[in-house]
Amino acid sequence: MAQYSQTAGTTGIPPAHWPETSRAHRHSGQSQLVMFLHPRCPCSRATLGELEQLVAHCQGKFSAQVWFIQPEGMGEEWVKTDQWHAAASIPGVQVNVDHSGEEARLFQAVTSGQTLLYDSEGGLVFQGGITLGRGHAGDNPGRDAIESLLKQKIPSATSPPVFGCALGWVNNQKECTACQP
Amino acid sequence: MSALAAPPLPQGLPLNQATALLRVSSSGLRQQTSPLVDETAATPLAKPDSALQQRAAELFRAAENDLHRHTDQLFARLMIVQWLAGIAAALWISPLTWIGDSSQVHVHVWAAILLGGALSGFPAWLAWQYPGLTVTRHVIAVAQVLTSALLIHLTGGRIETHFHIFGSLAFLAFYRDWRVLATATIVVAADHLLRDLYWPQSVFGVLTASSWRWVEHAGWVLFEDAILFVAIRRMLQEMSEIALRRATLEGSNEEIERQVVERTTELSRTQAELLETSRLAGMAEVATSVLHNVGNVLNSVGVSAELATSKVREFRTGSLKNVAELLQHNSADLPAFLTTDPRGKMLPDYLLKLAVHLAEPQQAILQEMEMLKKNIDHIKEIVAMQQRYARGTGVVEVLSVADLVDDSIRINAASFTRHEVNVACEIAQVPPLKTDRHKVMQILVNLLSNAKHALDQSEGDRRMMVRVTQNQEGMLEIAVIDNGTGIAPENLSRIFSHGFTTKKMGHGFGLHSGALAAKELGGTLKAHSDGPGLGATFTLTLPLEN
Repeated sequence: MAQYSQTAGTTGIPPAHWPETSRAHRHSGQSQLVMFLHPRCPCSRATLGELEQLVAHCQGKFSAQVWFIQPEGMGEEWVKTDQWHAAASIPGVQVNVDHSGEEARLFQAVTSGQTLLYDSEGGLVFQGGITLGRGHAGDNPGRDAIESLLKQKIPSATSPPVFGCALGWVNNQKECTACQP
Repeated sequence: MSALAAPPLPQGLPLNQATALLRVSSSGLRQQTSPLVDETAATPLAKPDSALQQRAAELFRAAENDLHRHTDQLFARLMIVQWLAGIAAALWISPLTWIGDSSQVHVHVWAAILLGGALSGFPAWLAWQYPGLTVTRHVIAVAQVLTSALLIHLTGGRIETHFHIFGSLAFLAFYRDWRVLATATIVVAADHLLRDLYWPQSVFGVLTASSWRWVEHAGWVLFEDAILFVAIRRMLQEMSEIALRRATLEGSNEEIERQVVERTTELSRTQAELLETSRLAGMAEVATSVLHNVGNVLNSVGVSAELATSKVREFRTGSLKNVAELLQHNSADLPAFLTTDPRGKMLPDYLLKLAVHLAEPQQAILQEMEMLKKNIDHIKEIVAMQQRYARGTGVVEVLSVADLVDDSIRINAASFTRHEVNVACEIAQVPPLKTDRHKVMQILVNLLSNAKHALDQSEGDRRMMVRVTQNQEGMLEIAVIDNGTGIAPENLSRIFSHGFTTKKMGHGFGLHSGALAAKELGGTLKAHSDGPGLGATFTLTLPLEN
């Protein structure tokens, strides 16, 4: 069980600049947080909890959007779980459906809970997870790094592992070989 | 250790002193560290009462064992509930793990079922099979805090779930055994220490925690422990006080029970004596009635004897002697004397007249003798009847109610005649009575005698009625009704009391023994009167079968 909790998902290599073809709207002049979640991943409940804390701690310093992956053939009701509603209830957080993982593919997000922070210029300043283990709430270096970036503009040197279920938009085998850092 | 052990029981007070002490100092008991000991020390008369102390210790141990067993059973149920709650939490929070649109059962579900089952099952089994054992509650303590760890993990390390530990400690305090809390605390501290060393983020939520952070967590647990230890000590103190009180009460109860048994035995003996006295008094009443009636008949016998004697005295034996001497003197020529002598000629007429004169008292004597014989037969009959009833005590027989009433009237018949009491009977068709003949007879003779006494004192027509009926409940009712002096209302309620009488020469036994006899036969004896001068009715109610 401990091993399961501490086994991180694979992490993709997100684009260094905000992809122009993305449907995700970037607010110019403001840091932008993008989070990809599997709507039914139990581990991501803790990630949303950490996001809620981030929003509370750094109010007005960034805008956040959460993309819930919708696999091919699944209806919208499959996406709109309690986690969807939990995310939507966080003030200032925009919640979206990612049809067939198109946005995840653009941002190279592979594991539920993968969080990206782009600065006001659209440059990637952080990527990784904001929990310490699968579904485990609590202080963690990912959240600390984002808070430092937003409050003190201290660049992050780490890319914390992402703990969550695979988003599933690519074949696992291929994804593992292609996306490992 | 000793600081948290049960407070010592008082060094033995005598029972009465211990009771008084508990009564006087009950309000102060809770405010002192060991008030009973202090009070004992302050009592110069206090002497060791090892039996009381030993009994109090036994009661304390029994209460403690009972508490441990009940708490074990409580935890057995709690363990099952926690196991199911853990499974439910896992199924709710993390039922499946996903890769895109494919999923499998989350490891937390298996952990909740298997690990939770092991953590709950073993202590629950121990509590079920070995409640009250020391090892059982320590295993429960370990399992309870490990369950806390599992639940914390299953809920994703939510800080709120950590409250389960503090709740568990409070629950474990139900054992009122500080050692159980110590075991739980050691497990919590060890868990935090080991995780601090090898996996800090699992418990503190950070990758690198201070090597002393486990002390902070354990410190909060110890903080709660300290409060619980104080509570446990107080509860143990109260338990020991209750045990002492119970031991003292038991002693008092035993003494009271002993006295009750003693008094009951005395009472039973007295009651038996009273019953026997009443029975003898009842028999005496019957005997008195018999003697009274025999006395009445003997009066007639005396009169008859007197009459016979006076008649005998009337016999002219001197005249016969003169005739005999005259005949003897003239015996030489008796025919000449009878035919020629004037005296001789008168002699046949004289003898004829003398015979007639003798026949009259003879007839009277014969009549008196006949009367005498009848009266003697009457006495024999009364005595025989008394003997018949006196013999039959305690024997249940099938009796004719009409015969019983008739006999009881006949025993008193001479008295009724002498006192000019007119007795009537109304006897309905009733089944035969199965009862003790002597007791019923005793009651009836007494009632008839009382009625006669009531009529003696009244003027005018003296009437008595014996009425036999069967009431709606199927009971036999024999009512003795008179138109005599009646009973004042204030006397009605105590007329059956032992020693109560309105007769000048009475003893107050008759009605009392009658009421007791009626009760022994399963019936009742009741009195009714509309007041003085208005007569009275005494009703004997009996079951047809006793």
